[in-house]
This record gives sequence, structure tokens and C-alpha cells, in this order.
Amino acid sequence: MSFFAVDGLTMRFGGLTALDDVSFEVDRGMIFSIIGPNGSGKSTAFNCISGIYQPTAGKIYFEGEGISGLAPHHIARLGIARTFQNIELFSTETTIDNLMLGRHQHMHSGVWSGVAMLGRATSAAREETENRERVQWIIELLDLVRVRDRPVGELPYGTQKRVELARALAMEPKLLLVDEPSAGMNADERAEVAVRMRELRAELDVTILLIEHHVQLAIGLADRVLALNFGKPIAQGAPEEIRQHPEVIKAYLGDG
Amino acid sequence: MIEPTRDHYQDIRLFTARGSWIKLILLLVVLVSLPLLLPGYRVFTLNYMAVFVIVGLGMNVLVGYTGQVSLGHAGFLAIGAYTMVLLMTRLAVPFPLALVMAGFVSAFFGFLLGLPALRLAGPYLAIATLGFGLAVTQIIAHSALFGGHMGLVVPDATVGPFPLSGDVSKYYVIVGITFVLALGVRNLSVTRVGRAFRAISDSEIAAATMGVDVAYYKTLSFAVSAALTGVAGGLLALMTGFISPGVFTFTLSLMFLAMVVFGGLGSITGAVLGSIVMGYLNLEMDAFQELPVLGPALEGFSERFMSTVGLPNFGWVVTGMLIVFTILIEPRGLYGLWIRALDTTKRSKSTDADLSRSGPGAD
Amino acid sequence: MLPQVLASGLSAGSIYALMALALVITYKTTEVPNFAQGDMAMVSAFIAYMFLTDFETGFIFAFGVALVFAFLLGVGFEGLLLRRMRKPTHLNLIIMTLGFTLALFGFAGWKWGADQRHFPFPISANEVIRFGSVSISTLSVATILIAGILMLLVFVFFRFTKLGVAMQATQQDPIAARINGVPARAVVGLTFGISSVIGTVAALLTAPLITLDPTLMWDALLKGFAAAVLGGLNTPVGAVLGGYLLGVIENLFGAYVSVEFKSVVAFLIIVIVLWFKPSGLFGRHHERKV
Ligand SMILES: Nc1ncnc2c1ncn2[C@@H]1O[C@H](COP(=O)(O)OP(=O)(O)O)[C@@H](O)[C@H]1O
Ligand SMILES: [Mg+2]
Repeated sequence: MSFFAVDGLTMRFGGLTALDDVSFEVDRGMIFSIIGPNGSGKSTAFNCISGIYQPTAGKIYFEGEGISGLAPHHIARLGIARTFQNIELFSTETTIDNLMLGRHQHMHSGVWSGVAMLGRATSAAREETENRERVQWIIELLDLVRVRDRPVGELPYGTQKRVELARALAMEPKLLLVDEPSAGMNADERAEVAVRMRELRAELDVTILLIEHHVQLAIGLADRVLALNFGKPIAQGAPEEIRQHPEVIKAYLGDG
Repeated sequence: MIEPTRDHYQDIRLFTARGSWIKLILLLVVLVSLPLLLPGYRVFTLNYMAVFVIVGLGMNVLVGYTGQVSLGHAGFLAIGAYTMVLLMTRLAVPFPLALVMAGFVSAFFGFLLGLPALRLAGPYLAIATLGFGLAVTQIIAHSALFGGHMGLVVPDATVGPFPLSGDVSKYYVIVGITFVLALGVRNLSVTRVGRAFRAISDSEIAAATMGVDVAYYKTLSFAVSAALTGVAGGLLALMTGFISPGVFTFTLSLMFLAMVVFGGLGSITGAVLGSIVMGYLNLEMDAFQELPVLGPALEGFSERFMSTVGLPNFGWVVTGMLIVFTILIEPRGLYGLWIRALDTTKRSKSTDADLSRSGPGAD
Repeated sequence: MLPQVLASGLSAGSIYALMALALVITYKTTEVPNFAQGDMAMVSAFIAYMFLTDFETGFIFAFGVALVFAFLLGVGFEGLLLRRMRKPTHLNLIIMTLGFTLALFGFAGWKWGADQRHFPFPISANEVIRFGSVSISTLSVATILIAGILMLLVFVFFRFTKLGVAMQATQQDPIAARINGVPARAVVGLTFGISSVIGTVAALLTAPLITLDPTLMWDALLKGFAAAVLGGLNTPVGAVLGGYLLGVIENLFGAYVSVEFKSVVAFLIIVIVLWFKPSGLFGRHHERKV
């Protein structure tokens, strides 16, 4: 059984079939890219995997267990984290508080211990301090030190994207879903994103599922690539194969 | 790398600056000496405002943090008040224990009301709470156990050997409890549960993908909010000595919402300030007439265009307008105005606003 | 007994149906549950009262003035307050309607006092008509008829008039409608005006039945919402059916279970319906896109 697998995933919205019988497998430690023109169903696939949408048909397996049908918070607790194409941050909270929400599932304080946090030695205070220490390196890794205590809503777009990635990393996920990390960025910034993705894979024991509109970036980073068009899988394989695949070339030429 | 010795406890401790201990002691001195300085009848007003502050803390947890609207908190206030009084009269439960039970029973009903909230967003939830508030007063008004429309007299309360007879002794109990609860809510807000509450109002979907069980925390916030309001209800009964269904109206629920909106949703300081202002307004609805110049002008206006018997209702107009203008001008209320004022002073001091180039070592 | 209960249910249900319809047509356009709906209608009813008693005008004139006032109040509320919000989030919109309702409630109390007043009406609440074993007051008959006709008119307006169809198009898709030349802003204002008029008709029919005071429409507002929830907040026809259903259920409960707790039924229905079918009996559910 592979680390992560999607089998016959189908998602319909009324008359629109956003995903049509999509299957793929991902091995541990891989970077797996999903490419496809706008509206081809990439984000919908992420929404199905993270439990936000209930797929119309198909199964999703993570570490051998079926996870389709589970609630998003259950899926998160299994070790699957994600970012969103249109940033979904807690915009009134500071960067550090956003990251601390990523720690939510690793912490335990309830109402009573929270209310009774009356000094450094109380259990809630200790848990807070420990977890804040734990995410400090992520803040440093992603260059967020200066904005650590800033409400994220007022940060520039690129910084918000980094905070969102940092928040997902704070969850210490086994599988990380990244939706369009380079959207709205220039060539330099895109190169930075590429470096960062490689860095993450090298330094952390994390498998990455990457959606990227920018095909060169997506293929360049990936160990394996799935191409979608109008919700249908049109090609799957190693990066070199996908680059030359006639269907993929056609889809992108057709896209403009 | 940059701050190898950062003390992370700094982030959550109550007193970050050196001066804050002094501020706290000052606040305590003021709170302790206030009833000794003011005329006796004013102490009653203070007690009333303190009760409102507790409700404000509860409303802030629910509306300010999780973004769920309640139009039925007068119902929880009633549940707390009646629970305490019935426990004291029927089962001779001592006041402190009865008060704690008021909180728990109210929390239980909050939990029940929160259950539909699992499946309801914005409008539906508000509608359900509206129904809840009206149902509670209906049931109380029609049940012999609760004294019906006639209401119930609150028995004399004692704390251990000390009888709580006058407004001043009640003041110390009520304000002491208010202070402790405010501290508790503040602690809750900087730890795990409070953070999950606040995440829900920003983005439910993001919260869920962080592993926050959104449904559970929504229900929990109802319970916490109701518990605080229930305790406030018990204290309201203690200070007024008499409760009846006529006290716990729909407009009171709206008043509770108004105070957190006016103070600033999501801010404890805002909730406290808003509650103090609105509490005063609610008790002293006719205080407008006593204002130096405006008072007579208002009376003259009322006589000519409105009515003099209806003048006490002017307070509702003011409350409603405060909500309307808060939402129009500064949706974050008093707290938002304060933040804006701080921002402008800061901006005039430094122009360092470039956040995108946050190089290492810059801090 | 049963036909009698059904008749009373239908009469009460007419009021709930009107309120539900008023709430739903604005909800459909703006996604705002208008908690000021009841008090907007209450103040308009007081306007009619003022003309009837202070200025001693005829019924038709007084009611006409009240309805025009209601229309302007609705348009004004939308154009001067709701539209001018800085941050029109769902929460803020709800709070705005609540603030407005409190101000209206205070205004009515300030102007007319909190006393219960007898509301003059051309049709008597005490005269009774008999249909076989069922006896029903002329006021109830009038209520059922007027509400029925008004709702029919509203549906005809939305289905068959050019303006109505354009308004519906805007409700369903503001962007597409704008392309077709329908000014979305005017439509929203008009919707609030119409809905305020519908609510006011409900208030004018309620006032003679009970008495007139600033709390006149509290109960009707809750029932209107309950009915709308029952039928689906997005479905006008469903909401109207929900209104009649609620009226009948409530009266059955009053007749066979308990009269005192009749008003609690509305709340129970809200909770039960939302628990089992959150989008109402006749509504559809929408998923948020991320
Ligand atoms: N919640 C939804 N309701 C209706 N249609 C949706 C929803 N989510 C996505 N879609 C539709 O599904 C298709 C695929 O969208 P998406 O997965 O976002 O594409 P991509 O991420 O590849 O650009 C689009 O046509 C989009 O409009
Ligand atoms: Mg996408």
C-alpha cells in the first residue's frame, strides 16, 4: 500500500464535473505536482483530500487508511496540512498566533487550565511557552521574524503566503498540500519559492503535494506529475515524460 | 539565530511592562475605595454596571471571538438568576454554592442551545437564539415554580459568617467576582481554547484544517458565554433582591449585544468599557433629563414633538443609534478608535512601514 | 373542534406568512436577516394610528400614508444605513438591523409611550361569522383574504411584470443582471421598500387583534423567522407555506397540549427543523467555494 493514494475521485457541482475519475499514488518523501489550466479541478482535488468537500465518488487513502468522508479536523489530525490558493489566514491574529493555531492539535489545554493560567509554572503556560519555542525555527526559516507580532491581515501578499506555509508547517504534517505557492509572483520570487520547496523536502520528513499554475516550476520541482484538463487526468508520469506529452502540450496551447 | 534567548512566556504573561503592576494596584485601590467615596445610592449603580461587565465578558467570548450572534442572552441571565434563587429558597443551598450552580446550569443550557449551532451559520443561529430568549421568559412567566409573572423574592445571602445586607458589602462580592472572571477570560483568550475561538470567526475552514473541531468549539463558546452570564444573573438577583420575567426581555438581550459592539468586538477592554457605559445607560434611562443644558432642551423637545411620558425610552434610541453609528463609522468600536489613535501617533514618530523586506538580523 | 383549530391556525398563519415573505425577499437579495422588519412595521402602524386619532382622517387615507411611509422607511434603511457600512460582513449586517430596530423601538416608545392602545379598524374582531360548526371573526376572515391576495399580488409581480422579473434576475445573479442593464442598487432598495410594505400590512392586521404598543411585532417577527426557517430562508413560496404551517401547528399545540406554552412552539420548530434540514423543508443548501 502506498503512502497516499487517490482512487477514482469524482466531484460534481450540479451539472459541472470538476473532477472526473482521477487516480494517483504518492510515495513517502516525494514532491508530487498536479498541473492543469485554470478551472481544471486542481483545487477541488485538494478540497476533497482535506475533507472540505465530500467527493461524489472515489476513495482517498492515507497510510493505508481510507480518509474520504472524514471531517476536515480529523484529517488534519492524521497529519495532513494544506495552504489555500486564495489565502485563508486568521487575518486579525498575529503571525505567531496563526502558527500557534497550527499547534492546536499537538496541545491539550482546555477551558479550565486556560482560565487558571496564573504563572509560568501552570500547565497551560508551560504548554504555551514550549510550543512557541517549537515554532520559532519556522519563523526564522521563512523569514518572518520582523512580522512575528503583526496582525497578518495587514501584511503584503507574498508575506501572507509565507505565513500560510509556516502555519501549515507548524502542524508538523506528514503530507503537505500546497496550492499555487507562486501565484501572483514575479520570476525572482518564483525562484525563491522553488528553493524553499526543495529546502523543506530536504530538511523535513514531509511529502509534498504541489499545485502550480506555472508549469515549468511545477515540473522542475516534481518527482512525479499529474496533468488534469477539465477535471480529467490526461497524463501522469515522470517530469520528462510530462514535458513531452502531446496531450499536455495541447492543453496548454489551447489554454492560451 | 536572531533571538536565541527569547523568553516565550513574555508573549502571554499579564504584565509585560514594568509599569503594569503599578496600574493594577492603582485599579484595585480605586475599586476598593470607590464605594466609600460615592454616595450610597451610587453603589447600587456600580453593582449594576459590574453585573453588566460580566455579561459583556460572556458576550465577547461568543460574539467577539467566535463571531456567533446571540439575541437571547437575557435568557441565560434569567436561568442563572432563577437557578440561584430557587436553590437558595427550595433547597437551602448557601449563596456561594448556589451562585456557582447558577453558572453551571446556565452553561448546560448554553451547551444545549449551542448544539443547533453545530449546523447553523449566521442568520439561522441568531434566529434560534431570539426564539430561545423569548421562550425562556414565556416558560418562567407561566410556571408556578418560577413565581409566574409575579416573580420571586431573593432570600438574604451570607458568605460564610458574613451577611450580605447592604449595597456596599454586595459591592465587594460582585466587583471581586467580576475582577476574577475578567482575569480568567483574559487568560483563556491567550491560550489554546481562546485562540481556537477567535480562529473560528476569522475562517472556519482554515480553523478546521488546523485540526480545530469547529462544531465543538462553537458549542463550547456558547457554554462558556452562558456560564458567565448565568453568574451575572445570580449576582443581579443578589443585588436587586427581586426577580421577575419582565426583567429579562428581548431588548435587554439587544442591550447586551450593543455593549460589546460599542466597546469593540473581540477586545476584553472594549467589552468592559462598553458594558460600563451601557449598564449605566440602561439603569439611568432618565439620566438624560438631569444633564445640565441638554436635559431641559430634551424635555422641551419631547413636550413639543414627542411625549413626556415616553421620555425614558429616549435611552433606547441612544443605544440603537450607538450601535448603528459604531457599525457605520468604526465597526471595532471604542477599542478600534483607540487602536487608530495609537496608530496615528506611532506613524508620526516613525515611517518604517516596509514589512516585505524582512531580512534576517533586522530585528 | 379540529376545523375550528385549523381556521384559527390559518388566520394566525396569514400574519406569519406575510412576515416570512417580507423577511425572505430581502434575505434573498442581500443575505441580511432583517431583524428590524418587525419594528419598521410597528412604527408604520403607529403612523396610521396617528393619522386616525390625532388628525382624524379616514381609514383609507391613514393606511395609505402608513404604507407609503413604510416603503420610504425600507428604501431609506437600505440606502442610508445598510449600503453605507464600512465592513458589510454578515455579522455587521445583522448587528446593523438590530441597532436600527432598537432605535425604532425607542422612538415609538418616546413618541407614543409604552401604553397599550386600542387601534381603530374598519373590521371588527368581535363580530363572528359561522361556517357550519366553525365560527370565525370577521377580522380573521379579512386577515386571511387580505394576506392571501397581497401575497398573490407579490408573486404575480415577481413572475409576470417586467420590473419584477428584472428584480428576480438581480437576486439570482447581480453581475449578470447588471450586464443586462438592471441597476442592482435600485433593485436592492426597491426590495427593502416592498418588504417593508408587506410587513406593515401584517402589522395593520395585528394591531386591531391585540393592542398597539411598541412591542406589537416582537412575536410576529419571531414567528415570521420561524416560518421562514421552516420553509427555507431562500424560498419565498416555502416561507409562505411555512407561515401557514406554523400557524396551524401552533394552534393544534394550543388546543391539545398547552395554551400557556404555545409561543414556545415557534422556538422548538426552529431548532428541530434546523437540526434535521438546515436549509428548511423546501430550501436548497449551498457549499462555500475556496
Ligand atoms: N464549491 C463549488 N461550487 C461550484 N463549483 C465549483 C466549486 N468549487 C469549484 N468549482 C468549479 O470546479 C471547477 C474546478 O475549479 P478548481 O478546482 O478551483 O480549478 P483549479 O484549481 O484547477 O483552477 C471550476 O469550474 C469551478 O468553478
Ligand atoms: Mg485552483
